[in-house]
Amino acid sequence: MAKIGVFICHCGENVGAKVDCTKLAAAMGEHPGVAVSVEYKYFCSDPGQESVKRAIRENNLTGVVVAACSPRMHEATFRKACAEAGLNPYLCEIANIREQCSWVHTDNDKATEKAMDITRSMVEKVKRNNKLQPIEVPVTRRALVIGGGIAGIQAALDIANAGQEVVLVEREQSLGGHMAQLSETFPTLDCSQCIMTPRMVEAAQHPKIRLLTYAEIESVDGYIGNFSVRVRMKSRYVDVNKCTGCGDCITKCPAKKISSEFDCGLGKRTAIYTPFAQSVPNIPVIDKENCIYFKNGKCKICAKTCQCDAINFDMPDTFVDLEIGAIVVATGFQVQNNTMYGEYGYGKYPDVINGLQFERLASASGPTAGKIQRPSDGAEPQTVVFIQCAGSRDPSKGVRYCSKICCMYTAKHAMLYAHKVHSGKTHIFYMDIRAAGKGYDEFSRRAIEEDEAAYVRGRVSKVWQENGKLMVRGVDTLLGRPVEIAADMVVLATAIIAQPDAKEFAKTIGIGYDEYGFYNEAHLKLRPVESSTAGVFLAGACQSPKDIPDSVAQASATASKVLALFSKDMLEREPVVATNNEATCAGCWGCVLACPYNAIEQKDIVDRSGRVIKRVASVNPGLCQGCGTCVTFCRSNSLDLAGFTEKQIFAEVMGL
Amino acid sequence: MSIEEQYRTRAKELLSGGAVKMVIGYGKGTTANRRRPLFISSPDEVERLVLDDVCITNLSGYLVSEGLLSDEKRVAVFLRPEGIRAINILAAESQLDADQIVIFGFDVNGNEVQALKGIHVEEFADVIGSIKEAAPEAAEEELFEKIEKMSPQERFSFWQEEFAKCIKCYACRQACPMCYCRRCIVDSNQPQWVNTSSHTLGNFEWNIVRAFHLSGRCVECGNCDRACPVNIPLRLINHRMAEEVLGAFDHFSGMSKTQEPVLASFKKDDSETFIL
Repeated sequence: MAKIGVFICHCGENVGAKVDCTKLAAAMGEHPGVAVSVEYKYFCSDPGQESVKRAIRENNLTGVVVAACSPRMHEATFRKACAEAGLNPYLCEIANIREQCSWVHTDNDKATEKAMDITRSMVEKVKRNNKLQPIEVPVTRRALVIGGGIAGIQAALDIANAGQEVVLVEREQSLGGHMAQLSETFPTLDCSQCIMTPRMVEAAQHPKIRLLTYAEIESVDGYIGNFSVRVRMKSRYVDVNKCTGCGDCITKCPAKKISSEFDCGLGKRTAIYTPFAQSVPNIPVIDKENCIYFKNGKCKICAKTCQCDAINFDMPDTFVDLEIGAIVVATGFQVQNNTMYGEYGYGKYPDVINGLQFERLASASGPTAGKIQRPSDGAEPQTVVFIQCAGSRDPSKGVRYCSKICCMYTAKHAMLYAHKVHSGKTHIFYMDIRAAGKGYDEFSRRAIEEDEAAYVRGRVSKVWQENGKLMVRGVDTLLGRPVEIAADMVVLATAIIAQPDAKEFAKTIGIGYDEYGFYNEAHLKLRPVESSTAGVFLAGACQSPKDIPDSVAQASATASKVLALFSKDMLEREPVVATNNEATCAGCWGCVLACPYNAIEQKDIVDRSGRVIKRVASVNPGLCQGCGTCVTFCRSNSLDLAGFTEKQIFAEVMGL
Repeated sequence: MSIEEQYRTRAKELLSGGAVKMVIGYGKGTTANRRRPLFISSPDEVERLVLDDVCITNLSGYLVSEGLLSDEKRVAVFLRPEGIRAINILAAESQLDADQIVIFGFDVNGNEVQALKGIHVEEFADVIGSIKEAAPEAAEEELFEKIEKMSPQERFSFWQEEFAKCIKCYACRQACPMCYCRRCIVDSNQPQWVNTSSHTLGNFEWNIVRAFHLSGRCVECGNCDRACPVNIPLRLINHRMAEEVLGAFDHFSGMSKTQEPVLASFKKDDSETFIL
């Protein structure tokens, strides 16, 4: 015999002002199977919860309905209270009479009537609820960090320093990511490489970190605590175990005129190369596209030079299979290709460059050893124009969002330029100066006040070449007049965009992404580092454009999430999972296809002699997320979802 | 040699050589214009096989009789193009192994019976492809056009009148090769989603559930329509659903034995016009 307790919460004025709670409590008290029906101002408060617990104990309740706000708000609260009173938490349900009733109705009587329907429907459901036990799954205490930029390195180091194993996978041949390309960093102007390379070395030498560079994620299967990951080790054509990193092969390589990706096309590299001198690991790779041997079948000078016999032109790609408990995605960003702004002349005039290229020019390890020289003739530019929002905040051509870092790095560029070219003059076209952050506004003020950066509020309409100068025509909207500046170099603050393959990669690991390809967090405010997939976390600019402090903070946050996950031997999962009635399953496998989590497998039912007599669907409770897609697909009604069984839903509908 | 004789000869060869354990075909019925399914497993019986223009029943449903194919031996079956499409769907939904099925394909054009070349289901891809091309108009008839022109209210009352005749005998289900579930949703009574009474609500529920379960799967063989003892024009509902699926997802049921079930599969370019 059901003994249901109904607890009607006023939620202050939220429910009480529209719904006649006294009337509702009286009506529910009359309903068959309801033992207790009471109202209270705030059931979520401590005395409120205590009264629920007391009612459960005193009346030996078999189920609880809390008529209150959304279950997303306080389902967990009341289920916990029930458990503390000795009632299985899954025998507690929330009837939402706030969001779907009191908030949306104006007529008090009708709202009360609706609240009665909603609550009665839930009472009928709870009568048919089953005691459910959380599902326990083991945890593999090994984290996978994808991406070896500053975010990935930080996450890997934090996890490893807490004593857990980490596999750090980087698709380029060296750790470092974009931060290794930068010159000085805002707002402190400390040298990027000087703070970055020690961290790279620390990650590479850490006993708990296994570093896989020049490697890409091939596939990810499994679920939180139990992922199976396959990594493709791209062939370097250089044996990692034999190479000492002496660099002789690089010096001797005859293919010397290849545009360097690391230097953003401003420098040259050889076909066998490391991207930069401080590469970690310091082991070169052969660029098959440009290698003379791979093109013509003759050369092999590197192999002849190498004293360790480390060069192997027949090296195949290999695969590494990993068992992983948690994944940190730190795959970073790209800069937009500015050639779509034909009016700015990027790609047409060599002296129109983007912000990342300016970083290489200003970097001591860059192609000019830190001297600001313009790409066309190597001359020192005397006038530099910076154009901010060259792609950002431009729905018509670029991207709608703000790339966040450009205001700051442009101020930094102006500063670095002023420090290196004392006679130089800078003009910065901007829309707004967005300098929110510790020390940021002070930094941009310093660029204006001490380093004489001339900010012009307005957009640039055209850049063209005339008499060896780059003519920049724009508008000063504060003075309301057109401006024309003859510049020696133009720097575009290009938009930050998601990696070109970000969407494809999201599908590989099974996480969500937004319209731009940035990865979606589970909740922007309350769960900003979790992805929508349990056990997969997000760090750095793969989630949204970020500067270094934010990336590092987010990386450390993911590490704390991973460590919390690893602090237990077994994980508890919600027992809301599908089950299959094998007796009635027709084995059509529609559910296998329909399941978005690959949680349904085919299972053979065999007789004593091992002969297959039937094939049926079987749900893996570790993978099942309880979405119910399979249940709605199943024509024979063989699949059912615990916590939302057909019987419960039917009773709920009939209770209305 | 007539097609009937050719197929008798082929059936005899297959049965005597042991290449198939059974031939499912048509035999004489109780009246001159009726044919009944014939199951023969001996070469001596092939003379009982009949093939003429009134052989219309889709025999593919018999193949999924429990235990028939579990010994992995082959079975031959007389099939019109719709029946061949049904084999593809049953194979795609793992109800049978298409390699076990030897097809005696034929089609009826007016009064004339034509043989369809091929033995295995894959060999009929061209035949099925040409049906798809002709699909939009092929099955349409006067009554269908009439219903299409009705207002939703008129259409509702049309079907209300038709379903009022339903006696819930489930003959449509028993005759349908796609209704292979061992327990149908209407036989599940915990809870009883579909009302068993043959009143308006129960009748609507049953016929609409069946139409949905067949959408993207029905081959329009007409078995249900012919089996209905009260002559509800069930073919019209199924044809309408087939048109919807073809229009929305370019899915024509039974194209191949690896065709994914349309309502269980997802394509990135699926139209999302139904999402508000």
